[in-house]
Amino acid sequence: MALLMSQPKTEIASNVVAVAGFDPPVVRPGEGAVYRVSFNALEESVVWPEKLNAPAELDIRAGGRGQIMPFNGTNFVPLTMFNYHVRAPRLGRFIVPEFTVRVYGKPVTVPAAQLSVAASLPASVASAQGLVFEVPETNLYAGQAVKARVLMGPSSGGQLRTLMQVQINGEGVLVDQGAARQRVGPVRRGASSVVAYIYETVLTPLQTGKVTVFAQGFSAGNRYFGPAVAGVGTGPVPTNLPQFTLLDSEPVELQVRPLPRQGELPGFTGAIGSFSLEPPRLAADPVRVGDAVKLSVTVRGEGNVGRLAAPPPPRVRDWQVFAPTPEPLPPASPMAVMAPQPAVAQASATFVYTLIPLTTAARATPAIPFSYFDPGRAVYVDLTIPEVPVTVQPGAGGADLRALQQPDRGSGESEREPGLSGLAPTPGRAAATLTPVQRRPWFALAQLAPAAVFAGLWGWDRRRRFLEQHPEVVLRRRARRALRRQWRALGRAARAGDARGFADAAVAAMQAGCAPHYPAEPRALVGADVLPMLGGLAGGAAEVARRFFALTDAARFGPGGADARELLALQPDLEKVLQHLEGRL
Amino acid sequence: MSCELNRCRIGFRVLLLWLQGGAAILPAWSSARIGVPLLMILLGLGMMARGAGASVEALFREGTGAYRAGDYSRAARAFSQAARRQPAAGTLQNLGNAEWQGGQTGRAIVAWEQALWLDPFNRAARNNLRFARKAAQVEAPELSWDEVVSTWLPIDWWAWMTSASLWLAVGMVLLPGILRRRKAAWHQAVAALGIMVFLLSVPAHFGVHTRGRIGFVVQKDALLRLTPTQEAQGIARLGAGEPARWVRARGPYLLIRTGRALGWIERGQFGLVCPYANELSR
Repeated sequence: MALLMSQPKTEIASNVVAVAGFDPPVVRPGEGAVYRVSFNALEESVVWPEKLNAPAELDIRAGGRGQIMPFNGTNFVPLTMFNYHVRAPRLGRFIVPEFTVRVYGKPVTVPAAQLSVAASLPASVASAQGLVFEVPETNLYAGQAVKARVLMGPSSGGQLRTLMQVQINGEGVLVDQGAARQRVGPVRRGASSVVAYIYETVLTPLQTGKVTVFAQGFSAGNRYFGPAVAGVGTGPVPTNLPQFTLLDSEPVELQVRPLPRQGELPGFTGAIGSFSLEPPRLAADPVRVGDAVKLSVTVRGEGNVGRLAAPPPPRVRDWQVFAPTPEPLPPASPMAVMAPQPAVAQASATFVYTLIPLTTAARATPAIPFSYFDPGRAVYVDLTIPEVPVTVQPGAGGADLRALQQPDRGSGESEREPGLSGLAPTPGRAAATLTPVQRRPWFALAQLAPAAVFAGLWGWDRRRRFLEQHPEVVLRRRARRALRRQWRALGRAARAGDARGFADAAVAAMQAGCAPHYPAEPRALVGADVLPMLGGLAGGAAEVARRFFALTDAARFGPGGADARELLALQPDLEKVLQHLEGRL
Repeated sequence: MSCELNRCRIGFRVLLLWLQGGAAILPAWSSARIGVPLLMILLGLGMMARGAGASVEALFREGTGAYRAGDYSRAARAFSQAARRQPAAGTLQNLGNAEWQGGQTGRAIVAWEQALWLDPFNRAARNNLRFARKAAQVEAPELSWDEVVSTWLPIDWWAWMTSASLWLAVGMVLLPGILRRRKAAWHQAVAALGIMVFLLSVPAHFGVHTRGRIGFVVQKDALLRLTPTQEAQGIARLGAGEPARWVRARGPYLLIRTGRALGWIERGQFGLVCPYANELSR
């Protein structure tokens, strides 16, 4: 707590001063200037307007904005600046009028600022200083790291100042702060060479499409720019601090493309650039079964080495391989910093895999698939970590090791690294549709067929057994059929006027209708057998039956035959007799 | 549609065989007044059947040629048309290869899964799936034990096995009595075997049914929505080839359950291994 309390405080000024001005205040037509507004307040406290109320003729574009906290000996003093890039098309004077913004919730007046556009510049006016933002390649792939640098040349007085709080602004871009380097060195500008302050870092575009980025930073010096005007009624601008000026660069547009999917190789973990492998190093040889051994793999090259993801450990039968941990990158040597820098970062990454041999059959460490994308050639390049010969000796082998040595399901398959197969030469096993057969309506109907067959067989068997136990049912059914058959025959005979046939059919029908009641062969029955069956009928019915039997007996057994024509008239009475007999069956 | 076409073609082939085998009978028939027109119709149908079969083979050959020439989009189109007319494991395997080469990870995985759906013994399709999932960093669908069992045989085999074993058992129980034969030990053994096979195949049968709801995201970064509306809030972004199970449908959206969440996805962004579920839901 004491340490915390001993820290210098941040000075939150009760009297916020806004300073506005053009840098430089005088330009020629078409030349650029910077409209800069600064506050001695924290950036978060300033409610800055979306749109600046500037003359319509001025071509104005928003630039950098930022905050710096210089130390005044006792406290940190916040200083916030807003930059706008302005270009005037014609001679004259252009004034950005006074306006009010809220700082710490209170209104603060930003004074008016004037830009003079003259045909010739006074000797005392120097051109505005800015930053130069350089990206060697603007046509990139998403995830491709590229080195960028920010240059600040000497001021008009020839004095080279330092640059602080450099930022690369732009959406969809990752800036690797760990890769930032600063130096002072010669920079070629046309035919001449100037000494410049150089800030280098590594950019990685993350989103595809057009990405606009620019650089900004605070230059530290004692230069006083332009006719700064303080707000009316405010105190003097403090001048005992070094003068910090927010500088920014022209925007740079990057074209970012997605990585091609075609030709992607196994083991691709997002490495983009140009890489090479150093021979993998095994920490020990020989090793014993069950003992862990480390395999170091160093990847060198140009690209996103700092963010390189290690290839995943393979699953093999003879080894248990654990995911690697990247070793920290070694600090850059001064020589490396001062050496000429390539377009992309050159570095190395080392992955240390831990391997445990499971059997003495292992003769070498497993190959680990790895590949990277070469943006120059736009192809994926195989960089598989090769096998390292090793001697595996028998070890003590605990229960854990034995469990690992158990062949798991599909271990045979995992030995072989999968790859895309060739084409099938023939269409192979075909089906009418992908819908399974049980989902098709005809399959359910097809199941009804055997069900119906079995149900029919079962029913038939039941009926058969019933009839075997009740033979009278069969007799009655047969009698009914015979009666109907004779009934139809007597009908036909009556229509044909065949009296003899009519009488025979009538007698046969009565015999068939009475037979099950005795039981007896129908033809053996005589009239006396039939008459008791007609008990429920009127007396005329018995007489009708007797006459039919008498006449047929006479015709069959008598010497001269009998005339049966009179019997045709008895057909209605005979119908009643037959209906009675059928009803008794 | 493809199902009807195939049924027609099978019918036409039967007719063709009948025509070829019954050459001795037909002259007598053709002498009749209706014989000649009927013969012409049958011959026409036969030629149509041969033409349909030939077009599938031609599409397969066209796809193979385009693939070898590096024209993967044309190859995928040809294999896709051939598979629509007659789904076949080899055609679907090649379709998956063409889609993969064209960068369509999700569609490739669906095609290979369909190849395995028809022919689980297709090692090339299985190997391709392992390769694709490793390269695209997507998981295989999690299967229940009955679904795993259902992958051991082609899908239609289970239905036939269930049906045949059931009726075999029923027949062995009923027929000796009906036919008035003494029940022998082998009758009972066959009945027991049939019942056992039936009981064992029922879970696989059920597994086929539930496996039919599995599908895969075919579009990269497909949005999983909270509600089946265009303006719905997104729950997650799904990678191509990510597995999910179809729950139900509503308009142009399907409710799917992924390993991470339950949400709605556009129909076009989701490919079912067995498209019948999608068709039924329309």
